[in-house]
Amino acid sequence: MAFLEVRDLVVAYGAIQAVRGVSFDVEQGQIVSLIGSNGAGKTTTLRTLSGLLRPVSGTISFDGEQIQKQPAHSILSRGMAHSPEGRRLFARMTVEENLRLGAYTRKDEEGIAKDMQRVYDLFPVLGERRGNKAGLFSGGEQQMLAIGRALMSRPKLLMLDEPSMGLSPIMTQLIFDTVKELRSEGTTVLLVEQNALAALGLSDRAYVIDLGRTTLSGTGHELLADPRVQEAYLGEGVGAE
Amino acid sequence: MSTTIDPPVATTAPPVQHTGRFGAVLNAVAPFAKIGMIVGGVLSVLGAFLPWVTFVLNEGAYPERASLNMFVEPFGVSGFRLHITLLGIAAIVIALLTVPAKHRIVRGLGIGVAAVALLNGIWITVEGGGLGAITAADGTIAFGAIVALIGGLVTVLAATSGGLEARPEWEWELPWWVEWILLLVIFALVLLLVAEVLTSGGQGGVVNPYAGVVFLSLLAALSGALSALSASGLLTWVGVVSERHRVFSVVVLLLCALALPFTGAGTEYWMTVASNIGVYAATAIGLNIVVGLAGLLDLGYVAFLGIGAFTAANLSGAAASAVGIHLPFLLVMVISAVVAGIFGAIVGSPTLRVRGDYLAIVTLAFGEIFVRSAQNNIAGLTGGANAIPNIPPVGVGGFQFNDSITIGALRLPSGVMYYVAIVLLVAFVMLVFGNLKNSRLGRAWIAIREDEDAASAMGIRTGPIKILAFLIGAMLAGLAGAFFAHKTAVVAYDSFRFLESVTLLAAVILGGMGTIPGAVLGASILFVLPEKLREFADYRLLLFGLALILIMRFRPQGIIADKHRKAELADDDPEDVAREGPGALPTEVK
Ligand SMILES: Nc1ncnc2c1ncn2[C@@H]1O[C@H](COP(=O)(O)OP(=O)(O)OP(=O)(O)O)[C@@H](O)[C@H]1O
Ligand SMILES: [Mg+2]
Repeated sequence: MAFLEVRDLVVAYGAIQAVRGVSFDVEQGQIVSLIGSNGAGKTTTLRTLSGLLRPVSGTISFDGEQIQKQPAHSILSRGMAHSPEGRRLFARMTVEENLRLGAYTRKDEEGIAKDMQRVYDLFPVLGERRGNKAGLFSGGEQQMLAIGRALMSRPKLLMLDEPSMGLSPIMTQLIFDTVKELRSEGTTVLLVEQNALAALGLSDRAYVIDLGRTTLSGTGHELLADPRVQEAYLGEGVGAE
Repeated sequence: MSTTIDPPVATTAPPVQHTGRFGAVLNAVAPFAKIGMIVGGVLSVLGAFLPWVTFVLNEGAYPERASLNMFVEPFGVSGFRLHITLLGIAAIVIALLTVPAKHRIVRGLGIGVAAVALLNGIWITVEGGGLGAITAADGTIAFGAIVALIGGLVTVLAATSGGLEARPEWEWELPWWVEWILLLVIFALVLLLVAEVLTSGGQGGVVNPYAGVVFLSLLAALSGALSALSASGLLTWVGVVSERHRVFSVVVLLLCALALPFTGAGTEYWMTVASNIGVYAATAIGLNIVVGLAGLLDLGYVAFLGIGAFTAANLSGAAASAVGIHLPFLLVMVISAVVAGIFGAIVGSPTLRVRGDYLAIVTLAFGEIFVRSAQNNIAGLTGGANAIPNIPPVGVGGFQFNDSITIGALRLPSGVMYYVAIVLLVAFVMLVFGNLKNSRLGRAWIAIREDEDAASAMGIRTGPIKILAFLIGAMLAGLAGAFFAHKTAVVAYDSFRFLESVTLLAAVILGGMGTIPGAVLGASILFVLPEKLREFADYRLLLFGLALILIMRFRPQGIIADKHRKAELADDDPEDVAREGPGALPTEVK
C-alpha cells in the first residue's frame, strides 16, 4: 500500500461537482505532481486531502489509515501539511509569528525552536527579517515563508499548491531547488502546479487532472515526452508567461 | 500666488516635496514653515486674550472660570483660554528650537488649539443664538474664537508644509531607581489628570449646562498636548520604560487607581460615576476578546451584562426576586459569570455555520430577544417593567459596601468600597485578557481574525475556539453584571438595550481594537460623556456617530493601536507607510 492513496475521490461545492473521480498514489520520499488547467480541480483535491473539505465519496488513506472523515487538525497532526494556494500568510504578523502558528499543533518548545532555525537555514532571508511583517515581503519571500510555515508542523507529507504562482523564473527555480532539497532530507512532497514544464522536470511521478478526473499518469519524464501532455500543457503558452 | 503652482525654481525648492490633494498649497507654504508656525502660535495666544463673547454668559462655571474672567482663576485647569495660551506658547517655543520631529509636534499643538477654539466657538454661537455671539453685536466685539481658530489652522498648515518627520525613537536608559521615580511621578500626574478630567465642568444637568462643553474642551486640549507628546516620541519611550519595569508599573498603576478617592474626585457622585465606568470598562474588555481578538462582530453583547445582573439580583435575597435565596457575593459573581458564559456559548454556536455580517445579525437578534424577554418578566426572573429593586448592598461582616469610611481625620465618601471593588475587578479582567492574548489560545483567535481558512490549515480547531471566545467574553460581562446589580441596587431591562451594545462596541473601536487600555479609555469617554451631556441626551447617538466617523477617518486603528492592526490601517501618515509599508499581500498573478 502506498504512503498516500487516493481512490475515486468526488468532491462537490453544493450542486457543482468540482472533483469527479481522482485517484493517485504517492510513495514515501517522492515528489509527486498534479498538473492540469485552470479549474481542473487540483486545489479542491488538496483541500479535501487536508480535511478542509469533505468528499462526497472516495477514500484517502495516509500512512495506512483512512483519513477522509478526519478533521483538519488531526490530519495535520498525522503529518500532512498544506501550503495553500495564494500562500495565505498572516500578513499583519511577523515572520516569527507566522512560523509559530505553523507549529500550532505542537507543544515541544525545544523542537519548535530547532525547526524554526532549520527554516531560517533553508531561507536565510527569513531569518534576517524574522521581526518584519509578512505582508511586506516580496512574492518570492512570501512563498518561502509559506513553505516554511507548513514545514513547522514537521510534516511527513508536504502539499504545495502552486508555489511558483506569480514568481520570476529565477525565484521559481530557487523554490523548486528547495523542494528537491526537502525530498533529499526525507520529506515527501505533493506538488500542484500550472507550470507543468518545471514541475514535471523534478517529479518522480505525475498525474494529469482534467475536468475533475485523473486522466494520465507516469514518471515526470514520461509525461514530458507524452504528445498529449505536450499539446495540452506544454504548448505555446508555457514559458512565455 | 496662484501662478507659482508650477514646480518651484531649483534654488528655492523646499526640502520636502508634497504630493497629493493639497500638495501644491503645502509646497507654496513650505519656505515659510517656521515663520508660519510662529505666526500661528502668536495668533492663538492673541485669540486667547481677546474677548470671546459679546453678551453676558452669566451662570455656572463655564463663563466664570473660563470665558469672561480668565484671571480670576488663572490656573483653573478647565479654563480653555489658559489651554489655548499654553498650547500656543508651546508651539512658538518649539518652532524656535531645534528638536527632533519638530513639525509633527507643532502640528499636534495646532490641532489642539483649533479643536478647542472651534468647540467653544460653536458652543458660544449656539448659546448666543447666532454668529453675532462670537463676532460683533450690541456695540461689543469679540473675535477671540475666530482669531484662535485661525491661529490653530495656520499652525497646522505651516507645520505640515515643513514636512512631518518620523517619530523619533529614544533609547535612553537611566539607573533603575531614576526610572522608578520617573514612572511614579508620571503615573501620579496621570492620576491627577484623570481626576481633573473626570470632574471637569462638574456634574452635568439642568443647573449646570456647561459641564459638557468644559469637559469636551479639556479633552480637546489634552488630545492636542498628547498628540504633540506622542509625536516627540516621549510617550513611546515612557511605554518602553514601563515595559522594562513591568511589575512595578502595574503595581503603581493599580495603587494610583485606588488613590482616586483621595483626589478631587473623592465624592459620592464621582465615585458612582467611576464605578459605572468600571463596569462598562470590564464589559468592554470582554467584548474586546470577541471583537478585537477573535474578530467576531457581536451586536447584542450587553445582554451578557444583563444576564449577569439579573442572575445576581435573583440570588441577592431582594424581595422582588423569584429565587428566594441569598448567597455570598463572591459565589454570586461566579454563578453569574457561569450563567452568562453558558448563554455566550449558545449565542456563539452559530459561528460554526455563519460568518461576518450574518453572525452580526444573529447576535443582534439575540440581544433583542433578551431585552424583550426581560421586559416581559420571563419566568418571573426579571421583574419586567417593575425591574428588581432594593437589591441589598454587598456586606462583609457588619460592614456595608455603600457605607462611608472614616480613617482618623479622613472621611471617605460612601461608594468608595464599591469603587475599590470595581478597580480590583477591572484589574482582574485585564489580567485575564492580557494572559489570554499572549497565550496559544490568543494566537489562535488572532489567526482566525486574520484569515479563518488559513487558520484551520494550521490545525486550529476554529469552531470550538470561536465559541470559546464568546464564552469567555460573556463570562467577563457576567462578572461585571453581578457587580452592577449590587452597586446600583436596581436591575431593569432597559439598561441593556441595543444602544448600550452599540456604545460598548464603539468604545472598543474608538479606544483601539485588541488592546486593554484602548477598551478602558473608550469605555471611560463614552460613558462619562452622557453624564456630562445630560441635557443633550437626545443627541448622544449623533455625537457618537460624529466621533466614530472622525476617528475612522483620522485614526482608523483607534486611539491606542494594536501592533497587528497598525500595519494595515496606517495609511494616513506618509511616514507611517514608509516605516510599516503598504502591508497587503500582492494580488495573485495568474
Ligand atoms: N468555493 C467554491 N464554490 C463553488 N465552486 C468552486 C469553489 N471553489 C472552486 N470551485 C469550482 O471548482 C472547480 C475546481 O476549482 P479548483 O480551484 O479546484 O481548480 P484548480 O485546478 O485549482 O484551478 P487553478 O489552476 O485555476 O487554481 C472550478 O470550476 C471552480 O469554479
Ligand atoms: Mg488551484
